[in-house]
Amino acid sequence: MSARNVEGGTPVRAAPRRELTLGAALPLLAFLALAALFPFLPLGSRAEFLLQIAFFTLVAGIMALSWDILARSGQVSLAHAAFYGLGAYGYALLLKAGLPWALAMPVAALLAGGASLILGAVTMRLSGMYFAIATLAFTEVVRTIIQNLPESVAGGATGLLVPALLGGNSRAQYALAWGLLAFTVLVSLAVRLTRLHFAFAAIRQGEETARVLGVSIVRFKLLAFFISSSLAALAGVLYAGKTFFINPLETFSLANSIAPLTTSIFGGLYTTLGPVLGAGVLRVAEELLHNSVKNGYLVVYGLVLMLSILWLPRGLMGLRRNKKHGGDL
Amino acid sequence: MTAATTTGGALSPTPQGVEVLRAEGLSKRFGGLKAVQDVSFTHHQGEILAVIGPNGAGKTTLLNLLSGVYRPSAGRLHLGGRDVTDLPMEARCHAGLGRAFQIVRPFPEMTVHENVTVGALFGKPGQRLPKARERAWALLERTGLAAHADKAAHELTLLQDKRLEVARAVATQPSVLLLDEVMAGLRPGEAQEAVALVRGVRDSGVSVLFIEHIMPVVRDLADRVVVMDQGQVLAQGTYREVTADPRVVSAYLGTEEGLHA
Amino acid sequence: MDLFAQTLVNGLLQSGLYALVASGLALAVGVVGIVNFAHGEYLMIGAFLAWAGSALLGVDPLLSLPVIAVAVYGVGALTYRVSIRHVLLAPELNQMLLTFGLGILLQNLALMLLGGNTRTVSTPYQASSLQLGELSVGGPKALAFGLAAALLGALYFTLYRTTLGRQMRAVAQNRRGAQLIGIDVDRVYLIAFSVSCALAAVAGVLVSVLLFASPTVGLVFALKAFAIIVMAGLGNLTGVLWASALLGVSEALVQTYVPGGGGWSDAVFFLMIFGTLVLRSYRGAR
Repeated sequence: MSARNVEGGTPVRAAPRRELTLGAALPLLAFLALAALFPFLPLGSRAEFLLQIAFFTLVAGIMALSWDILARSGQVSLAHAAFYGLGAYGYALLLKAGLPWALAMPVAALLAGGASLILGAVTMRLSGMYFAIATLAFTEVVRTIIQNLPESVAGGATGLLVPALLGGNSRAQYALAWGLLAFTVLVSLAVRLTRLHFAFAAIRQGEETARVLGVSIVRFKLLAFFISSSLAALAGVLYAGKTFFINPLETFSLANSIAPLTTSIFGGLYTTLGPVLGAGVLRVAEELLHNSVKNGYLVVYGLVLMLSILWLPRGLMGLRRNKKHGGDL
Repeated sequence: MTAATTTGGALSPTPQGVEVLRAEGLSKRFGGLKAVQDVSFTHHQGEILAVIGPNGAGKTTLLNLLSGVYRPSAGRLHLGGRDVTDLPMEARCHAGLGRAFQIVRPFPEMTVHENVTVGALFGKPGQRLPKARERAWALLERTGLAAHADKAAHELTLLQDKRLEVARAVATQPSVLLLDEVMAGLRPGEAQEAVALVRGVRDSGVSVLFIEHIMPVVRDLADRVVVMDQGQVLAQGTYREVTADPRVVSAYLGTEEGLHA
Repeated sequence: MDLFAQTLVNGLLQSGLYALVASGLALAVGVVGIVNFAHGEYLMIGAFLAWAGSALLGVDPLLSLPVIAVAVYGVGALTYRVSIRHVLLAPELNQMLLTFGLGILLQNLALMLLGGNTRTVSTPYQASSLQLGELSVGGPKALAFGLAAALLGALYFTLYRTTLGRQMRAVAQNRRGAQLIGIDVDRVYLIAFSVSCALAAVAGVLVSVLLFASPTVGLVFALKAFAIIVMAGLGNLTGVLWASALLGVSEALVQTYVPGGGGWSDAVFFLMIFGTLVLRSYRGAR
């Protein structure tokens, strides 16, 4: 575990990977099992409210984990809100065009994934702050475009009504969110356990070296963007279907880029368990604070991000003492 | 990127052997500075070719032109009869150019084995992960790094880092391996081990082109030497031939290093 | 033609404010080597302090401006001491994320304490306007431009004509070299970062008069400042001036000549960022 370096030299990084064992997957499975059991707990009179918090915790998990998948390829993006929003708006507009929801959902995800290829192609050669600034600007512009489309198309600044997902049945909605988180976890594990892991990690840790070793950065960077953004769009679909009403300001809010980034760093970058765990902790903290103050509850994310950078560069995953545990999943 | 074109299909054996790499009039300008000018040479199969020259002679720029870090301002580069001048770095790797850097650049968050696996996995298209892992293992054993396979790269000594750098480049299955001053920073005893390592690479069927400052290493290792000065090729030939060439001697005497430094 | 001239003037006036925000950001990047993603939040603090002075104490923002500048200089110094200083040698990613976290923290603290509403400051000269031949110029706008120009002049004078300025430029060029010739690098960093925050706060005071104060008012200015310094080249202070002018004028042209341009003008900065970055990255491609 890395203590804080006075010089601040401890990079945000993962430990060198060891061979993987099945044991590493156990906490992940336990977390998913607990999440699956949640609606069956005796939740009492506040069941509906608690279920809603749990629903958005799952959405936060999808966002954080999908953000992490992109970060693994060295692309620290501030555009996740854009793809979340494109998913939400794409879904709403596809429903308006008459598509059934079960079709609108994957199509919206694929469309957002396609849009991410445009951003990815433009930012291909950018790194560090240039990349961050470009992605931040991209989000603002997608929002501006949606907001300035004729109101008859996308509702303008006011927003759009979205039919409730699954007829508004909150247990069914929860089950769907759980399924999509489980799917995201599977995708993340697939990325971790296949050649994609080596490609992403090599690009992140030394782009030029990776190219010299034959890693096609164009292909893998775009692939990372596509996977990550499609999953973020699925989270956006869940959001749109749960809140019935979407507007540009909230849907494309910077908060939707900040939260996944912070959650992933807090939980443990470049892992599967970390972002999911981080979402569990941070989303609940956010809700508790939201209960007592009306505005500014996102302060949690600012604070946690700063503290993580200064004192906890490996996030929660770095706290585990058991190093024999095998590679972080 | 445009696909590489084959040039007449001619891979004719010359008196020295079969050509693997041929530079034709390679030049690179940076603004007004002519870093490399009209450099031509032929590298033969199984040959260890050294590129030497005083500091600032353009050796590293030449290596960057060969590996694709820079695009040449003029000239062509052929690899195994294929024109690879317009290929980007990753495609040159696929075409058979491997490169090890002077300053070792291991992937810091990977183990030694994973580092080599990257080369084995992406060096040629269509490799499968399990197979690549196995080949990486085999290479670690050959380069004497097997005992350190699970260490992080920063836990290695400099010599081990250099071995890793070479192992990773060899893992890409190159036909030509470019080495940028791999001996730099090594103690004499270590340098001897590195020389043996490079010979081993050649004996496994890879042609080696290396840049080197340390003349005894060039003498021991190189089959042929290309001498560069001020961006141009000054002389080519065996070590004996070029060191006997008065132009080479004067180019070196003009610098502080001296030929036999 | 008059419309065109008017548009140009409006754009140029706007660019004074942009240059003020961006030069602070460029100073932090150039000297300290930190891209401060929280830069807009210091602007926000300045705007709120101006509002508070005006609404609670009845002090005109232009009078409270020097006090606010000094106060936010202090806030900047504190920020440097407790956070920035600890990541100076850390990877760029850590620095970026730290200032990003700081921005979120400050913005949400403001939201928590003051709520999400916008607060307007009323001044006697708010509705005034100057008549220059055919052109009419809003009084506050002209005032803001004048102030920004004066401050930028002072900044450039300091950088190029004083010992402190020379030290700053020396540190910007070569940190270690500066250290070797006895410059207290830490002190220079502290001053540069704090001045950068103070400049943002001054811009915030002007924003409170021209627009309003709100917890999120900083973001859009910070984004535009990013566009400007990216176009000028990170840390290039002189480039900031023409890049600001270009942004201000382009926005004004879009507002005037594009149907529904008010909504679209906020996307101009994005095109500038993308245009510059793409051009630069492909020119840099070898």
